[in-house]
Amino acid sequence: MPSAGDGAAGREKLAAYVLSLSTADQTEVLVSASDRALTRFTHEMSNQNVAASDAGVSVRAILGGRTGVAQTNRLDEPSLRDVVERAVAMARLAPDDPLVPVLPPGAPAQTPAGAYDPATAQADADVRARMCDAIFREAENAGYWSAGFAATSSAGLTVANTSGALASFDGTDAGVNVKMNAADSTGYGESYSATLRAIDPGAAGRTAVEKARTSAAPLAVDPGAWTVILDPPAFGELFVYLADHFSAQSFDEGSSFCSGGLDRSYFSENVTVRDDYAHPLAPGMPFDYEGQPTQRLALVENGVVRTVVTDGYYAKKLDRPNTGHALPAPNAYGPQPRSLVVDGGDKSVHQLISETKRGLLITRFWYIRTVDRKRAIVTGMTRDGTFLIEDGRIARGVRNMRFNDSIVDLLGRCEFSREQARTGGYHYSLVAPSAKITGFNFTSTTEF
Amino acid sequence: MEFEALAARGLDTATMRGAHYADIRCEVARSERIEVRNGVVATLADGTSTGFGVRALVDGAWGFAGSADVSDAGVDAAAARAVAIARASAAIARRRIGTPPAQAYVDVFVTPMLRDPADVPLGQRVALLLDAERLLHSAPEIAVGRAWLDLWRADKYFYSTAGSRIAQQIRQTGSGIEAMAIGNDDVQIRTYPGDVGLYQSGGWEIVEAAKLLEDAPRIAHEAAALLRAPQCPIGTFDVILGGSQMSLQIHESCGHPAELDRVMGWEANFSGTSFLEIDQLGKLKYGSDHITIVVDNALEHGMATCGYDDEGTQSVTSDIVRDGVLAGYEMSNDTAATIGRQSNACVRADGWESVPMIRMCNLNLLPGSVPFEHLFDDVKDGVYMESNRSWSIDDRRLNFQFGCEMGWEIKNGKRGRLLKNPTYAGMTPQFWNACDAVADARSWFAWGTPNCGKGEPMQTGRTTQAAAPARFRNVSVGVGYGA
Repeated sequence: MPSAGDGAAGREKLAAYVLSLSTADQTEVLVSASDRALTRFTHEMSNQNVAASDAGVSVRAILGGRTGVAQTNRLDEPSLRDVVERAVAMARLAPDDPLVPVLPPGAPAQTPAGAYDPATAQADADVRARMCDAIFREAENAGYWSAGFAATSSAGLTVANTSGALASFDGTDAGVNVKMNAADSTGYGESYSATLRAIDPGAAGRTAVEKARTSAAPLAVDPGAWTVILDPPAFGELFVYLADHFSAQSFDEGSSFCSGGLDRSYFSENVTVRDDYAHPLAPGMPFDYEGQPTQRLALVENGVVRTVVTDGYYAKKLDRPNTGHALPAPNAYGPQPRSLVVDGGDKSVHQLISETKRGLLITRFWYIRTVDRKRAIVTGMTRDGTFLIEDGRIARGVRNMRFNDSIVDLLGRCEFSREQARTGGYHYSLVAPSAKITGFNFTSTTEF
Repeated sequence: MEFEALAARGLDTATMRGAHYADIRCEVARSERIEVRNGVVATLADGTSTGFGVRALVDGAWGFAGSADVSDAGVDAAAARAVAIARASAAIARRRIGTPPAQAYVDVFVTPMLRDPADVPLGQRVALLLDAERLLHSAPEIAVGRAWLDLWRADKYFYSTAGSRIAQQIRQTGSGIEAMAIGNDDVQIRTYPGDVGLYQSGGWEIVEAAKLLEDAPRIAHEAAALLRAPQCPIGTFDVILGGSQMSLQIHESCGHPAELDRVMGWEANFSGTSFLEIDQLGKLKYGSDHITIVVDNALEHGMATCGYDDEGTQSVTSDIVRDGVLAGYEMSNDTAATIGRQSNACVRADGWESVPMIRMCNLNLLPGSVPFEHLFDDVKDGVYMESNRSWSIDDRRLNFQFGCEMGWEIKNGKRGRLLKNPTYAGMTPQFWNACDAVADARSWFAWGTPNCGKGEPMQTGRTTQAAAPARFRNVSVGVGYGA
């Protein structure tokens, strides 16, 4: 019996075997394998130090226009036969959907350089412990306590179907995330990369220390309209709430801000947004979960929304090209951008700050939630380092505040730094610059 | 599946490698998800996941390793990995933790269930959702209709070096419908029951209780009516919150801040900390005298109802807030020991691959004495809000802003016209102290939440907050729509 743990070759053999078991008109098989480890810490000790390995098979069976999906992580022959039979049985009971597409035949897709790093895949608990220890020392030197994590992972996916698609990808990921806690202030630092050697835990710790130190004795300032400069984690947290609006499903159903039409200007001409799996800061999978090669797209060019992402279903429904952005079947979310990149501008972060007479520098947001879907109004809180800018300089820390504003409106009055960083950790991947936005609407303060 | 031999081997391996204490949790999880979207079965999926997680305590530090490889070699490797991880933890730890369970148990727990969903033919399950979703289109403004069903079965087997052998069969069921109306350059959504559907422990009877077919046309027409409804006003008003919104209010502003790991800074980098600091225990006037909130993991139909938590501690009932005063926390063995208490069995993992951690379980606001309809009686100028659609709270759980799918004007004790986009905001203790009435037991209901996020790697918890509607005085309303 082929094994999912034998790399791409093993997964491909396993996928071929499972395909051979199916009697459906069309069959798609996803074989996955992963090993993920994360050392979480607080108060200079590990409170959750975990690792887990798993492998799985997902089968999509299509009978005419009827679809069923079954999954298992038991990879013995009886379990594989069972998962295929369950998928076919579910398909028999599903109603007919004339829009169910012919599964794509696939095409060669080049994995970007740097997506897989053997040293990252092999990193053990001792490696992660040393990463944490470097952060602990920064905390101890500052007289603070730290909380965060060091993580490493490897994951592989093979997609195969009866139309002939066969695509495999192996990737690694690593990251540190640290919050430094002082008497009346906190600070945050992070670093994420596909390659462990690109991560400097001590530097992330020092960034967090500096943020906590500078925001000590925070001043309460009045809410209202402020000019803000958002560090990449803050801008990323905000921007990701717009991601679903670029899905063909949201566009088609009328709930996207751009459902009114493409090739229209919705944002400032400073805004260019791409979906690019090959960006060097976030190299990722070059095909989607249907095995279709993923197109590197300009979703927004100089403020003009050019396109939305599709999968096989929505390409057929909307008579648009399949851009290769399918999520794993089944899902009710439709196609989604997976590798968002917001282009940087011409100025440095330092210049954006120095040109600000009075404003706020925001490190990070927390608990952003959509208030109004169509207008993309969201609310959220600042956290872990919010600073008053006066006369082009960071003057002092301020207490955290709540904002309510439309992301679409905010992107109409913004400019970006030339520096970019990967943010989002394992929750999502986004390459983002720092953003300067005028008229950012804060509605209340909190007690810290 | 038989796990006795695998568990014994795993515990032996961990002990031989140097663990002072170890436990192993083996799990076979089965999930079925059906979702109908605009007449199409968008999801028809059946998944199984089998594996185990080993927790090892070495030199005052924990390690955890999970694996799907249930062979002898697989359990040896995972147990050894858990010990190695614990040693790595110990090597850098500036402090020691690790409190094994105080007592060992040999027991079995099975979720009470009237009808096994497996006895309902799959075709009937699909047909119910197709019919319910079709009824949502009884209003022409409905652009997207959704109907869904989740069936979850988890057979869990817990073994420890202290001698526990606990088998549990947990059954949880959920279903719901949602209508999205689009028009007037606006999008309005109505969800039913509550804001996520009806999720409870039990079998097919939970789906039947949701009455999806009966209520689908009403939900559709409510969504359409919201497109034409006036905007909720901005200002300070008395507010009555419906039961499911009260569930959300408890969840966010009591359930999370009362997690003792969060209080101790164990969630600081992600979910945040808490304003319910330990020196406030027994002193802080968290809410008005009407507020008593308890952990009850034996609650009928509670999503977190079980015999034992995932550390092997027996379920108990305990106070979090009693008559408005902070009385306790949701605890694990490790955290309870730091404040001289015993765990109240609030530890869960969301699967075999996840480490057990403190989770909000069944956390209930006890009912008051006022019939629901009389909550309105002495409200001169207020807003009644139902069914959450937006929730945000700061990382110490103080400053919150919540929005609901719909509201109604209250004038001189009477419920009036429908309002769209109602929101309210406040600071947690001030808000709870402004509660002057909780409705009685006739409107008290176990609202389940299937998607509570916490921890890193993030885990998805399933929790219940049983609640009745309640009244709050002088609340900030309309935030978010004034700019």
